[in-house]
Amino acid sequence: MTDIYALAALWIGLALAAALASIWLRVATSLSEIVVGTLAGAVLGAAPLGADQTWIKFLAGAGAILLTFLAGAEIDPEAFRRQWKEATAIGLVSFFAPFVGCAAGAYWLLGWGGQASLLAGIAMSTTSVAVVYAVMLEFGFNRTDYGKMVLAACFITDLGTVVGLGLIFAPFSLKTLIFVGGLAAAAIALPWVTPQFFKRYSGRPSELETKFLLLVLFSLGALAGWADSEAVLPAYVIGMLLAGTVGRDHALIRRFRTLTLGLLTPFYFLRAGSFVSMPALVAAPAAFLAMLLLKIVSKSAGVYPVARVFGSPNRVSVYTTLLMSTGLTFGTISSLFGLSHGIVDQTQYSALVAAVVASAVVPTLIANAWFMPRHLLPVERAGEGAGSETKGS
Amino acid sequence: MYRKILIGFDGSAAGRKAFDAALELAVKHGAELYVLSVARTLDVPDDVETEAVIENSRNYHERLLDELRPLTAAKAVNAHFEVSVGHPAEQIIFDADRHGVDLIVVGDRGRSRFARLLLGSVSKQVVQYAARPVLVVR
Repeated sequence: MTDIYALAALWIGLALAAALASIWLRVATSLSEIVVGTLAGAVLGAAPLGADQTWIKFLAGAGAILLTFLAGAEIDPEAFRRQWKEATAIGLVSFFAPFVGCAAGAYWLLGWGGQASLLAGIAMSTTSVAVVYAVMLEFGFNRTDYGKMVLAACFITDLGTVVGLGLIFAPFSLKTLIFVGGLAAAAIALPWVTPQFFKRYSGRPSELETKFLLLVLFSLGALAGWADSEAVLPAYVIGMLLAGTVGRDHALIRRFRTLTLGLLTPFYFLRAGSFVSMPALVAAPAAFLAMLLLKIVSKSAGVYPVARVFGSPNRVSVYTTLLMSTGLTFGTISSLFGLSHGIVDQTQYSALVAAVVASAVVPTLIANAWFMPRHLLPVERAGEGAGSETKGS
Repeated sequence: MYRKILIGFDGSAAGRKAFDAALELAVKHGAELYVLSVARTLDVPDDVETEAVIENSRNYHERLLDELRPLTAAKAVNAHFEVSVGHPAEQIIFDADRHGVDLIVVGDRGRSRFARLLLGSVSKQVVQYAARPVLVVR
C-alpha cells in the first residue's frame, strides 16, 4: 500500500499544481491538468507516473463518466423542447461539418488510416458548451430564445460526438443491440424512477442520491464496455434525460461536481496529458496545426450560414461560430478513447490532443482580440428579437 | 459637474484607491455612485466547471461589495451596487452606457503582470473604448 499512497500523493500534487496554474492563468482546470500531465509524462516518464495502474485507470474513467453526466445535465429541457428543430439543425451541422472536414483532411492530407481519420473527425467535431454559455450569460443572451437555441444546439453537437464514439467503433453485434436496448430501457425508466426515489430518500447524510446515480452510471458503463462501446455515451444521454429533475437540484449537482472536479477528473486529464509525446509534436507539428485549422474552418463553414438563416446578425453569427470552434472535454475524451482502443497511435493522439487544447485557446483569443468591444455588437434585449442595437449614449 | 459616477471595483488595492477617489468625488459633486464588480468568467473556460466558477465568483464579489456599503452610507451617498458577469472592461463600459454616467473611475493595476501582458490592461481598454470621461487612479 505504501507504493500506492506515494503514487496517489504524486498525482494529487500534480492536480494541486494544475489547479493553482489554472487560477493564475484564468483557464479551465482541465486545460492546465492536461498540460501538467504532459510535462509530468515528459519529465518523469510513463513508469514512475504509473498511468496504466488499474486504480488510476478506474478513477480516471469514473471522472470521465461523471463529467459527461454533469455536462448532459446542464441542458435546459424546456428551451430545447420549444426550439428543437432549430437547435437540432445547427447542432447537427456543427457536428457533421467538422466531422467530415477533419476526417477527410486526416485521410487525404495527413495520410491517416480510415479508422484513425474517423476518430479525428469525432475529436474535432465537439463544441464547448461552457464557452458559449459564458458569452451568452455576459450579454444576457441566455435569457433570449436565440441564446437558448444556440446552447441547445451545442448539446446536440456533443450528443453527436458521444454517439459517434459509442457506435462507430463498436463492432455491430448482438451485444450492441443488447446495449442499445438496455440504454433505451434506462432512458424510459429513469426519468420516472429517479424523482420518486429522491422524493422518498433525499436529503440524508448517507447521500443516497449520489449512490443511486453512481449505481446507474457505473452499471450502464459496464454494459457499454461489455458491448465494446464507450461508457460516456450512456452517461451523457442519462444526464440529458435527467436534466429536468436531477439537473434542477442545485445542491445535489454542487455535491456531485465537488466529487467530480475535486477528486476524479484530475486523474482523467492528467492521465490524458501524460500520453502526449512532446518529441512527436515538436518533430512534426504539421498534423496538429492542420487539425486545428480544419476544425476552425469547417466548423465556421458549417455553423455560420445556418446561424444567419435563423436570423442572427452578421457579427454575432461570426462571433458565435468562432466560439463554437472550441471543445476541450469531449475532444480529449474522444482522443483518449482512440489511443486506449488502438485506433490511433501515440503520435496521432498527441496531434489530436494538441489540436483540442489549441482549439480551446485560439478561437477565444481571436474572438477577444478582434471583436472587442463586444458590447457594440448588435445585441438582443431580453425577450426581443435579434438585431437591435443597445449602444448607449 | 458630475451627476452620476461609475466605479469598477475588483477588490484589489488599486481598486480600493479608485473607490475612495470615486466616493470623494461623489460627495463633492452630490453625485449618484454606481459601484460595479465584475465576476469574471475564465478566459479559457470548459464545461461543467464554468457554472461553478461563475457561482463562486458572484458570491465572492457580492461579499466584496458588502464591505463597501457602510462606507457610502456613512457619507450619505446615493449608491447602487451591482455584480455582473463577463469581461471587466466590457461590463464597465456597458454599464456606464446603460446608466448614462458622467464619469468612469477605475484603478490602474488590478490584474497580474502576466495577465496584463497577455490580455491587456482593463483600465487601458476602458480608456480606449469608453464614450465618456475616464479617471484612472494610480
